[in-house]
Amino acid sequence: MSKIEKALNRAREAGLQVVPLSDSASRNPAGTAVVAQRTVHPETIPQMAKNEVRMLGETDLVQRGIIRPQQGEEPALQVIRELRTKIVQLSRGQNAVTLVTSVTKGCGGSFIARNLGAAFALDVGKTALLIDCNLADPSVHELLRSATAPGLTDYLENPSLDLKDIIHPLGIARFRLIPAGKRSETAEELFTSRKMKQLMDTVRERYPERFIVMDGPPMSRIADIRILSELADFVLVVAGYGRTTNTQIAKCLGAIGEKKLLGLVFNEEPRIPRIR
Amino acid sequence: MQLSPEQDIRALLNEAFHSRRFLVTMFVLVNAALLAGGTLWPKAYTASTSIIVDERTIIQPLMQGAAVATDALDRSRNAREVIFGRKIMDVVLEYGGWLKTQPGVEEREGLTESIKKRTLITTVGKNILRIEYKDSEPERAFRVTEKFAELFIQESIAAKAAESRAAFDFIDKQTQEYQDKLVRAEGELKELRSESLDSNVGSESEITARLNDLRSRIDTTQQELREAEVTESSLERQASGEAESTTDLLREGQFRTRIGELESKLDTLRLSYHDTHPDIVQVKQQIQALTENINAERARREQTRRSGKSNESAVNNPVYQQMRRDQSQNQSQIDALTARLADLKRQLQDQLSRGKRMHSGDARLAELTRDYQINRDIYQDLLRRRENARVSMNMDRERQGLTFKIQEPASLPLAPSGLRFWHFVIMGLVLGVLLPIALLYARLRLDPRIRTGSAVVVPNKLPIVAVVPHLWTPAEVKGLRSELVFLSLVVATTIGASAALSAMHVLKVL
Repeated sequence: MSKIEKALNRAREAGLQVVPLSDSASRNPAGTAVVAQRTVHPETIPQMAKNEVRMLGETDLVQRGIIRPQQGEEPALQVIRELRTKIVQLSRGQNAVTLVTSVTKGCGGSFIARNLGAAFALDVGKTALLIDCNLADPSVHELLRSATAPGLTDYLENPSLDLKDIIHPLGIARFRLIPAGKRSETAEELFTSRKMKQLMDTVRERYPERFIVMDGPPMSRIADIRILSELADFVLVVAGYGRTTNTQIAKCLGAIGEKKLLGLVFNEEPRIPRIR
Repeated sequence: MQLSPEQDIRALLNEAFHSRRFLVTMFVLVNAALLAGGTLWPKAYTASTSIIVDERTIIQPLMQGAAVATDALDRSRNAREVIFGRKIMDVVLEYGGWLKTQPGVEEREGLTESIKKRTLITTVGKNILRIEYKDSEPERAFRVTEKFAELFIQESIAAKAAESRAAFDFIDKQTQEYQDKLVRAEGELKELRSESLDSNVGSESEITARLNDLRSRIDTTQQELREAEVTESSLERQASGEAESTTDLLREGQFRTRIGELESKLDTLRLSYHDTHPDIVQVKQQIQALTENINAERARREQTRRSGKSNESAVNNPVYQQMRRDQSQNQSQIDALTARLADLKRQLQDQLSRGKRMHSGDARLAELTRDYQINRDIYQDLLRRRENARVSMNMDRERQGLTFKIQEPASLPLAPSGLRFWHFVIMGLVLGVLLPIALLYARLRLDPRIRTGSAVVVPNKLPIVAVVPHLWTPAEVKGLRSELVFLSLVVATTIGASAALSAMHVLKVL
């Protein structure tokens, strides 16, 4: 029994309705609205849903600083959703690898990365994978219950580890993540390794509906950004409110190819919330 | 970066919300500082008085041109000099009760300086002097101001009197000096006049006439003398040619005739004989004898003439006698004329030297007279001036020259002047809002860090894909709510405290 059959069986057992697809390999024709492609590879999504350890409650999400659909009119939710839609539109039916990087440390690059992932996962037709590439100052593991869960460096350094060992469910439907792993002396050199390239290809190609978000280091680590931006399709640069200057932004942009540069996200704008 | 006003306000609002604690802290601090300032700010009571300085009195028209009034230019500066002088300040220090604590020299200097700083002296219009004094105690402000005016008037009058007194003394001294000079000049003049009594008026023409007379007489005398001398020489010539006595000449003539006859006989004999012929020798002897007789006769005559004795035998020649008389007369005339000439010449010399003497005396006299006249003029002028000065001095002594009249007497100030407590309260409320907002705005403008998406200016026209507002968690919102309540309470408490303090000030509790 293939993996897919097993998964289908498990889904049936869980009471989910599996809709058979006549042409499972067919790709969405270019130019059609991506948001409408909810039925693409439906067999993988129930499987991922099944693998969730335990769904995170609203309190957990709030604690982790992650958007949730219940927030409704929350401006941050709206903006991140729009950002997601923009990326989906630009990727023209394909999945995409988006690198999120801050101009300086503390601009909230990780916040944007995890919420962008969450926004992809909100769409039932898509899954999201967040990879923590900020090896110097990792933050993704904080979202997991276990801080010592194996991650990216472990996988790259240890040939015995399987890819599934480092992809951890978070407790949000259709949202997985790869933490940074244990600290490594040669962490930055790992990005240039062949295994890293293979990893990226694998995660991108295995599930075409999977949108991958890389939580990158700040742009001051210019060498890493250069390498990571080569692995990504789009680069989002996050500038924090009252934290970055025009000079800093201009200085960093030279490292990123103009074609991949999606734009600047201005984060943490203080806005008076509605207090009920 | 160029922002539209709307964006500007939006950015400012965002920033204000972001820095809400800073805003409230600043509001509280500014209010507290100003309330403290207002409480500690010394209350100042100002008392003022104005003095009319009038120089036009009833006496002035009467004394026009005689008494000189003090120039009143820059009166306020003069007044400042007088009032801030050590003399008045010392009196005021004593009067105001500042010396009760026995301050040291430096402390005293500081007190004086602080009083000076609090005193304002201005001129209103041309003749009104205004003295303003500020003090923390209303009673003292009033008393010191009053004292200032009183002392100033006293001092000014005294100064003016002293000034005119000094002027009088000076002129008086000058008058004395000139009087002495005049007396000296008079003495010298008198001396000179007595020295040359003849050097009186008109003597010059007299001397000239006398000189002319003497000169003409000298000329005449010289003429007469020359005539007498010519007569003398003429008589001399005539007398030498005239025989003194006729007899002698007769006898000699006879001898000469005999000689002639003998010589002619000799010549005839020589025709016939040699010289050795006895006749010839005889004749020669006869001639010889006759020649000797002539010589003897001449010698005798000479001797007679020399001895002056007239020869009895000789008969005097009358013409000769006449000539001798004339000659004698002429001689005596010559002598008389010579003597007269010498006398005239001496007189002429006398007159000339007298004339010279007279001229030098004139020059000295003119000099002395001139000095005398000048001294006299100055002296008279000084006498006049001295009298003017005396009048001025008396005027000042009688307080008629410069009158001071207190137009507006100092009054006890009832309300404090300057900044009041409620000014500080209002300033605190206004500044407490404006100052932090201004600081925030300045930070927004000057800080290069970006606080609004529109401020991003980068090459390549990098688009702003999203402006992500802060994600508010319910806990955060709850916290924010209580924070806002707390901040509002703080602001309300601050305002309440300000109001309470103001009320206490109004009710004079503090």
